[in-house]
Amino acid sequence: MIRNLFDFLVFPGFLTAIFVGLLTGGIDRVVTARIQWRKGPPLFQNFIDIIKLSAKEIIIPAGARFTFLLSPFFGLLAVSLAAAIIGRALINPLESFLGDVIVILYLLGIPAIALIIGASSSRNPLASVGASREMKLMLAYELPFIISLITVIVKSKGALHLGSIINYQVNNGANLYSFSGALAFICMLLCAHAKLGFVPFDVAEAEQEIMAGAMIEYSGLALALFKLTKAVLLYLLPLFLIGLFWFTNANLFVFIGKFLVIIVLFVLIKNTNPRLRIDQAIKFFWGPVTICALAGLGLAILGY
Amino acid sequence: MMFKVDPLSIFIAAGVIFFSIATFIYSFGFMREHPRRRGYYFYLILTSLVSLATALTNNLILFAGLWGFLGLTLYLLININGEIAVPAAKKTLIIIGGTDALMLLGIAMVYSLSGSWQMDKIKLDFTTAPSIFAYIFILCAAFAKAGAMPFHTWVPDCAQNSPGPVAAFLPASLDKLLGIYLIVRLTFGMFKMSAGLSLIFMVLGAVTILSAVMMALVQHDLKRLLGYHAVSQVGYMILGLASANPIGIAGALFHMANNAIYKSCLFFCAANVEKKAGSQDLDKLGGLAKFMPVTYISALIASLAISGVPPFNGFFSKWMIYQGVIIKAREVGPAAGSVVLICLVAAMFGSALTLASFVKLLHAVFLGVLPSSLENKKIEEKGMGMKIVPLFLALLCLLSGIFAYKIPFKYLFVGAELKYPGIWNASLASLLIGLGLFIGLVIFRLKQIRPVFRQEQAYVGGEPAPRDETRVSGTQFYETIKQFGPLKGIYLRAEAGVFDIYEQGKNLTFAIGKFLQYLHNGVLPTYLVWTLLGMLGLFLVLVR
Repeated sequence: MIRNLFDFLVFPGFLTAIFVGLLTGGIDRVVTARIQWRKGPPLFQNFIDIIKLSAKEIIIPAGARFTFLLSPFFGLLAVSLAAAIIGRALINPLESFLGDVIVILYLLGIPAIALIIGASSSRNPLASVGASREMKLMLAYELPFIISLITVIVKSKGALHLGSIINYQVNNGANLYSFSGALAFICMLLCAHAKLGFVPFDVAEAEQEIMAGAMIEYSGLALALFKLTKAVLLYLLPLFLIGLFWFTNANLFVFIGKFLVIIVLFVLIKNTNPRLRIDQAIKFFWGPVTICALAGLGLAILGY
Repeated sequence: MMFKVDPLSIFIAAGVIFFSIATFIYSFGFMREHPRRRGYYFYLILTSLVSLATALTNNLILFAGLWGFLGLTLYLLININGEIAVPAAKKTLIIIGGTDALMLLGIAMVYSLSGSWQMDKIKLDFTTAPSIFAYIFILCAAFAKAGAMPFHTWVPDCAQNSPGPVAAFLPASLDKLLGIYLIVRLTFGMFKMSAGLSLIFMVLGAVTILSAVMMALVQHDLKRLLGYHAVSQVGYMILGLASANPIGIAGALFHMANNAIYKSCLFFCAANVEKKAGSQDLDKLGGLAKFMPVTYISALIASLAISGVPPFNGFFSKWMIYQGVIIKAREVGPAAGSVVLICLVAAMFGSALTLASFVKLLHAVFLGVLPSSLENKKIEEKGMGMKIVPLFLALLCLLSGIFAYKIPFKYLFVGAELKYPGIWNASLASLLIGLGLFIGLVIFRLKQIRPVFRQEQAYVGGEPAPRDETRVSGTQFYETIKQFGPLKGIYLRAEAGVFDIYEQGKNLTFAIGKFLQYLHNGVLPTYLVWTLLGMLGLFLVLVR
C-alpha cells in the first residue's frame, strides 16, 4: 500500500509528473519565444506561476460553490493516477498495476470533464461557451484517438495491458516502424495535441475571443490546479505515445531523446498554426484524421 | 413444470423486486396528490407480480400470456398522465402488441419444431428456414421490450409523456431486464448462437448505440433525452451478448443491472425536477443545483456512471464488454474482425457522446444560470422518498463500480471460466483518489485560506450582464454537430420520423387505406367495371 501511494503521489505519479510537466512547459515557452524572436521567460517560470497563483485569493462567482472548487481536484487526481499507471508500466512492463489501456483512455478523459463541469458551474456565459467548445473538441478528437488505440491493440495481438504492448514491441520492434503504426502515431499525436489544448485547438480557452472561456472565473489555487493538470498531461501524453508506439530497449538518454522529439513536434505544430474555429476543428478530426486512423486500422488488420 | 429457478432467473427476479420497491418508496412522495393514484398503485403491483412470474416461468404459453399482460399494464400506466400521454400510450401499445403477436407466431413455430413447451427442453439451431423465422419473430418481441433498434421508437415517447416514476420503472429498469432476459434465454438456451448471427447482433448493437445517442444529443426535453439514452444503452448489452464469450455475456448482464440502476436514478431525478420546477423543457431550466442539492448529486453520479467514467459501475461493465468484443475480433477472420472492431470503435465513441449529452443535461438543468421565470417560484426538495431513492441508487452506482470485481459472475451464467484479459483494480484506484483528495483538502485547510470565500458576480467584459439575455441554457451546445456536413441530412430525416418503424408502418397503412378509399368512391359505373373485370379474371382462371 505504501508503495502504491508512493507511486501515485511521488514517482512516477504526481510530484514527478508536475515537476517534469512544468519544466517541459518552460522549455516550450522558451523555444516558442525563440521562434518568435523574443527572449522569453526563464526556464522555471511555470513553477513561479504556480507558486504565485496558490498564494492568491480564490474568488468564487456568486451562487457556485462545491462543484466549482472540487472539479479541478478530480481532474488533477485522475491524471496523476494515469501518470502512475503509465510510468510504472514503462519502468517494469511485466508488472500489472491498476489498469490497462482502456482504463487509461477513460482516465485521460476526466480532466476535460472536470474542466467542463467546473466551467458549467461558474455561471458565466463565456464559461458556458468554453465548456461547450471543450466538449465538442473532445468529441472530435476522441474518435480518431480510440481508433488509433485499437490499432495498437490489434498490432500487439489483442494485448490490453500497456505492459504487454511494451513487451511486444521489445520482442518484435517498435510499432512506429510500420505503416499502420506510423499512421496511428500521427493521428494520436494530433489528438494528444488537442487534448493539451494547444494552438490550433485552443478553442475552449481562446483568450482573445472568450477570455480564457472555461477558466474565466477561476482564480488562485483552483486555477493553479488546472495549470497543474495541463502540466501532468504534458508529461504523460508523450510517455503514453512512447509506450504505445516507440518503445525499444535502450538506455535512459534515448528515452529522454524520444520524449523531447515528441515535445518538439508539439511545439512546432503549436507555433506554425493559427487557431481553428470549433467547427473547423471538428471537420478536421472527423474528416482527414479519422480517415487516416481508419486506414491505419485496416493496415493493422491486414498485418502491415 | 411451470416454473424453473436458475441463477439467471433469480438474478432477474431479484432485480424486479428491488426496482419495484424503489419505485414504490419513490411514488409515495411523487404521487401523493395525484387524482389517479389508486389505479396507479394497482397497476404498479400488478406489473411487479406479473414481471416476477415472467422471469421465473419455464412454460412458453404462460410466458407469452404474462408477456402480453405486461404490455397492457404498460399502456395503462402511461395513460395515468392523462391527455398528453394518449398518443405515446397508443404508439407503445401498437409496437409492443404487434411484436407480441409475432412472438406468439414464433412460439407456435417453436412448438411445432421441437414438440415441447418447456423452455429448458427446447434445443434448436438455424439449419431450417422455419427455425430461423421462429427465432426472428420471438426476437422482435424481446427487442421491442428492451427498446433496441428498430423497435425502439416507443421508448422516447413513453419516457417523455408518462409520469416520472413510470419511466423509471418500466422502460428504464423492468422492461430492460425482461427484454435482455428473453434475448439470453432465446439465444443461448433455446437456440444456439451462430457466427453470422453474432455479427448481425454486433452491427445492430453498434447502430443502436450511435444513432440513439446522436438523437439524445439534440433533444430539448429532459425525459425524452433520457429516453434516447435508455435505447442507446441497450446497444451495449446486445454488443456484449453478441461477443458470445463468458466475459462479454457477463459484461452485458452486469451492464443490464447497472443500466437499470443509473437510468432509474436519472429518471427519478428528472421526475424531481419536473415536480419541483414545473417543467421538463431544458430551455426553461437552469441553476437548480443550489435548490435541489440531493437531486443534483444523484444526477451527477448517475450521469458519470452512464458515461462510463471510472470508478463507477458503468465503466466496469462497459470495460468487460469491450474485452469480450476484442476477444471476439481475434477469433474471427480479418474480414469479420474488421467489422467487429468498427463496432468496438462505435461503442467506445458512443460513451464519449453519452458524456457530451449528459454534460448538456447537467448544464441545462442543474448548473448554468437560473432563468428569471423560476426566480419567484419556491423550489425546494421535499419528501423523504423522493430524496432517499435517487441518492441510494447513486450510492449503489459507486459501490457496485468499486467492488464489481468481487461479484461472482461465474454463477450468473453457465459457461467457461471468466478470465479478464485486462486489469482494472477499481478499489485501489478509488482508494488512491480518495487519499489524494483528502491530502489535497488538508493542504487547502492548512493554508488557512479564508473560511468564507469571497463571492463576486460573474465577469462578462466588465459590464453587468442582463441575466436572461446572456444566459446560455446548454440546449444549443451541439448545434455545430447538427450542422456538420453528412449528419445534417440524417438529423433532418430522423426528426421527420423517417427511421421510425411506427411512423413508416402508419404511412404504409394509410397508403393502403388511401388506395382502397380511391377505389371506393361511390360511383356506380366504377364498381360495375371492377365487377366485370373480376368476373373476367375468374373466367380466365377457371376456363384455362
